[in-house]
Amino acid sequence: MNTLTIILLILTIGAAFTYFINAVNHKLTAISAFVTITIATGYFFGLAELGDQFKFALGDFSMQWGLNAFSYYFIYIVLGLSWLALLYSIAYMEGKARLGYYYGAFLLTIAGMFGVVISQDFISLFIFWEIMTWASFLLVIYNYYYNIKTEGMKYMIFSAIGAYAMLTAIVFIHHYYGTFLIGEALSKGAFSFNQHIFIPIFLLLGFGIKAAVMPFHVWAPGAYAKTPMSFTAVFSGALSKMGIFGIALVFSTYYITHNAGGFIASQILAWMGGITAVMGTIYALIQTDAKRLLAYSSVAQLGYIVVGLSTGTKLGIMAALYLAVLHAAFKGALFMVAGAVEKQAGTTDMTKISGLIKRMPWTFLVALISIITLAGVPPLGGFVGKWLIYEALITESNNYFLAIVIFFSSTAAFLYSYRFLFGLFLGQEEEETKDVKEAPVTMLIPMLMLSFVSIITGVMPGLVFNPAAKAMNALGFADTNWDMTSLSNIWGNTTDLSLIGIFIIIVFILGFAVLTLKGRKKTKSVGTKDISSSGELWKEGENWTFQQDFFKPFQRAAAPLYKFDMDKIWSDMGNALEAFFGFFRKVYTGNGQTYAIYVIAFLAILLIFKDYIFN
Amino acid sequence: MVISPVHYIVAPLLAAFAIALLSKIYKNAARIVPGIVLFYNIVISLVLMPQVLEKGMISEVIAGWEAPWGINLVLTPFSGFLTTAVSVIGFAIWLYGYKFKVRLQGGEVKYYEILQMMMIAGSLGVIITGDLFNMFVFIEIVGITAYSLTAFYRGRDGAEASFKYLLIGSLASIFLLMGILIIYTQTGSLNMAQIAERMPMVPQTMKVTALIFFLIALGIEAEMFPMNGWAPDAYSQAPSPTSAVFAAVVSVAGVYALIRVTFTVFDVEGVHQYLIVMGFVTMLVAEISAVAQVNLKRMLAYSSLGQMGLVLIAFGIGSHLAVFGAIFLMLNHAVIKALLFMSGSYFIYNSDDKRLIGLNGIHKRLPFVSAIFSIAAFAIIGFPPFSGFWSKFYILIAAGDENMIFLIIGILMVTIIELVYYLRTVARIYFYKDEVEHTEHKPSINAIVAMSFLTLFIIVIGIYPNLITGYLHQAADSLLDKASYIQHILK
Amino acid sequence: MMEFSEIFFKYKDLITVAVYGTAIMLIIIGLYGVLLKKHLVKIAIGLTIMDSGINLLFVAVGYIQNGTAPIFSPGHEGDAIRMVDPVPQALVLTAIVIGFAVTALALSLIIRLYKHHHTANIDQINSLKW
Repeated sequence: MNTLTIILLILTIGAAFTYFINAVNHKLTAISAFVTITIATGYFFGLAELGDQFKFALGDFSMQWGLNAFSYYFIYIVLGLSWLALLYSIAYMEGKARLGYYYGAFLLTIAGMFGVVISQDFISLFIFWEIMTWASFLLVIYNYYYNIKTEGMKYMIFSAIGAYAMLTAIVFIHHYYGTFLIGEALSKGAFSFNQHIFIPIFLLLGFGIKAAVMPFHVWAPGAYAKTPMSFTAVFSGALSKMGIFGIALVFSTYYITHNAGGFIASQILAWMGGITAVMGTIYALIQTDAKRLLAYSSVAQLGYIVVGLSTGTKLGIMAALYLAVLHAAFKGALFMVAGAVEKQAGTTDMTKISGLIKRMPWTFLVALISIITLAGVPPLGGFVGKWLIYEALITESNNYFLAIVIFFSSTAAFLYSYRFLFGLFLGQEEEETKDVKEAPVTMLIPMLMLSFVSIITGVMPGLVFNPAAKAMNALGFADTNWDMTSLSNIWGNTTDLSLIGIFIIIVFILGFAVLTLKGRKKTKSVGTKDISSSGELWKEGENWTFQQDFFKPFQRAAAPLYKFDMDKIWSDMGNALEAFFGFFRKVYTGNGQTYAIYVIAFLAILLIFKDYIFN
Repeated sequence: MVISPVHYIVAPLLAAFAIALLSKIYKNAARIVPGIVLFYNIVISLVLMPQVLEKGMISEVIAGWEAPWGINLVLTPFSGFLTTAVSVIGFAIWLYGYKFKVRLQGGEVKYYEILQMMMIAGSLGVIITGDLFNMFVFIEIVGITAYSLTAFYRGRDGAEASFKYLLIGSLASIFLLMGILIIYTQTGSLNMAQIAERMPMVPQTMKVTALIFFLIALGIEAEMFPMNGWAPDAYSQAPSPTSAVFAAVVSVAGVYALIRVTFTVFDVEGVHQYLIVMGFVTMLVAEISAVAQVNLKRMLAYSSLGQMGLVLIAFGIGSHLAVFGAIFLMLNHAVIKALLFMSGSYFIYNSDDKRLIGLNGIHKRLPFVSAIFSIAAFAIIGFPPFSGFWSKFYILIAAGDENMIFLIIGILMVTIIELVYYLRTVARIYFYKDEVEHTEHKPSINAIVAMSFLTLFIIVIGIYPNLITGYLHQAADSLLDKASYIQHILK
Repeated sequence: MMEFSEIFFKYKDLITVAVYGTAIMLIIIGLYGVLLKKHLVKIAIGLTIMDSGINLLFVAVGYIQNGTAPIFSPGHEGDAIRMVDPVPQALVLTAIVIGFAVTALALSLIIRLYKHHHTANIDQINSLKW
């Protein structure tokens, strides 16, 4: 049997098996899930080859699954991140209830994502997309004990709107172009904006909702924050990339042909991405819960990626794809950090805990590296991504204003990155967190591995450029030239990142050595309290750490931006609809005679107008 | 004894009377005999269907009077497919209801089973008959037994629902008679094939008037808006196996009658648009009303109405693919709705609060039934990889081929509404706190087997629909092929 | 409507017009009872009247001028061509029985409804709504 089918079978059967084995023995559930994903990942990276294809017929339709470089690129994210997240889950989910349900749905989501990426015909794409959606829905409502109406249903409704828009587009692609195969549709110009414009628009709607693009992002903060953190790592890291996968696919016609019809769409998409980036960042600033902060930050980062995709140039796409992998790595790590803090300290509310650096040093290290990557500071990987985006926006598209918007957003990203770090790890140590222990090893290893990815891509970005370039080839671009360790711009200047990395490390080591050796006699070890208070004396119980209203001045300055509450708009629409429905159902009055009158009245109407209805 | 289509009707009828006699001798006869008879029906299906598929149609005349003077029973791939489905699902429902305690103020089991048998006999009769008046008689049989079954529990709400059903149902029978009257005076025949043959010669006004009467009357039976006021009450007040039979058997028979009459007997233009518009209105109003429901069975009843609306839309679109999708949807709906009613009633049985609040956190006590309910809910919304997805997909493709973009968007928006209330219920089952007082009633082994069998169907067909697409294609072909129907019967 | 009036004036036979007219009047009266009367028993009676009306209409439709009863009896075998149409009469027999069964069922339901609600006003019997 084909490798791809086998992997899917492993994942689905593993999901079912895990679900049932929970009834037998709780401890086996996590192990069985982890073993399943290990087998699947190992099988894939060992045996699957580029160009694998699997064609079969299902109910009058011919379906096709295959592996091209574009899919392969995303599978790194899907399988890699999932493997790490499941390793992390073993310790994170220990002792919680309904483990079989959790792991079963997790594995099904992974199967769905895998299926989406390998689908080469629209029907399979839709089928796996839906499986992925409802499996992740099951996980979103996992933590809920009371208030299901909001987050879970919001997620499902928005996903469904997107998915059904996609379905409409798929049905009409079949009607106008006579095929369900993605490749064929692409070559026949199905995604072109010049004819049947609603087809690419609906497809973009479907993919965009999954990628949390404004104004449809309202499900994301709640869903990301309320799901168990081990799943959110995959949710925000990999699932949202499925939307990116789709947008890149749909837009590829525009990329290659650059026809005028798509220009407006690309501008709109670029601005939507830009607004998402800004609004996400702004809302992240005012959060007090670390999880929600990360959730909004995810939305903002996805905005960057969408902006990159919409430029339509080789550099832009490369930037977007690079950022996609990197976002999976650092956001996955950050959500894992938040989960570790939640598990060890009991809460992630930044107003309640702080000063964990002493207690959870390794977690802090991961958080630090990820934050640096997020903010885009060299020598870590995020720098490369940001650099590519800026270059794409400034040199290749004439969208200077958008570049300014993105710049504003990434600068503000510094603010909330620091907030996250400070809020959880730095600052004055609280009474409640005195006994917090470091996270267990099985949770640390995935976090550290993801940080390693951030580090290594900073020095050798070519490791990501290579598969990304191959993916772009598969989309139809000509070869891009890249270098393993250096970045170059159109004017021919090169920056050798490995040199930078080595340089920074040498400076760091030298500086550390000099300072410790020089002040050996004058330095002594102090507690965090002394560091925060810079030597001033304070009384017990007094809190000198600034945790509430952290960015109040900024909030006041940006007040008009905060008035734009998309969430409220959608809620109002939902309530209006419900009231409208409540009115409609009064048709069934419950009085038998009224029903009889309906029948007779309808009969009379039909008899009177019969010539107009039936002719 | 040669197996012929008439056994479909005769077997359950005989069983009904046999139960009355046998239960005097053997107490448990009332529970066992229906199972034997329904199993026999399945056997008949398995014997007759290959013949039907090979020969194209089996037409059997009753009492030796040749068609078109006598009554004939017609087994086309379409009707044969439906009767097979009805027999199998009926058997599953019987298996589920085997230990059903007709509880509280109920009557005795034997009355229940007698009525149930007669209802199934009547529905099967509606499906396979080829004569208009015979159809009327069977519709009345179904009607009277349904009225009685709705009112089976002695509480007040059953009687109310039954009376409303009776009122509307009587109107249906009167309009049906009016329609038959006009047809008879114009064509001089009651045989569907002969009427179809003579229909082009009937003046237009007469034709359309008769059609309108039929549409109203059969629309009442097929639960079309605005004639479906009786349906939510009847479905929610009937005993649980009966609700399942209503959803799976009676509505199938009603829709079949409507479609047979409009497609085969009449040849009026504009019926298709009528079906699409009214089907859409039915679906819209039903799903909107379902969102606000507090009672589980009532919510499922409105959902049934919505699905029937979609079936009518699909028949209205009229192309081969659309009819294929419609028949597929009828089959799926019968299985899934029966499953929902079966599992849903275990929920109600296990909690003292009959409203949806009683479902909070019930999966801890009934994990198996909860899983089945969830799978069935996912299937009816149309999530892959369950069978409900394929039927909706085929219908949407058929609509796309006719360029009906607004219809497609409308159907999908209504699906989102459906999604909301079903997923809300699933979430309630799994994630709310279990605070309601309850009495323990675990499902018995027969119910588990019956429900598992139907669930297996949903999953298997969802993953590999090729198993039945062949039969469905033939069924769709046979419906659209009026000429061969006439020719085969009248020879 | 034009066609109906044409049919009427074809059969200028007064009896035929009277029978048709009565049948239609009965249907309308029955309909009036079903739709506008509030008492349950009156609604049931309305249904019965409607049934009678439609049955009468059926029989009337089957009438052939100067025909005789459609019964074979010794000595009259050749009368087949002079009989009225027997099919509507068969249909009516069936319909009468069905109507009778439904009426019986309706009345028993009304008794039960009255026992529970203590009123026979249909407007008060609507606890199942929306």
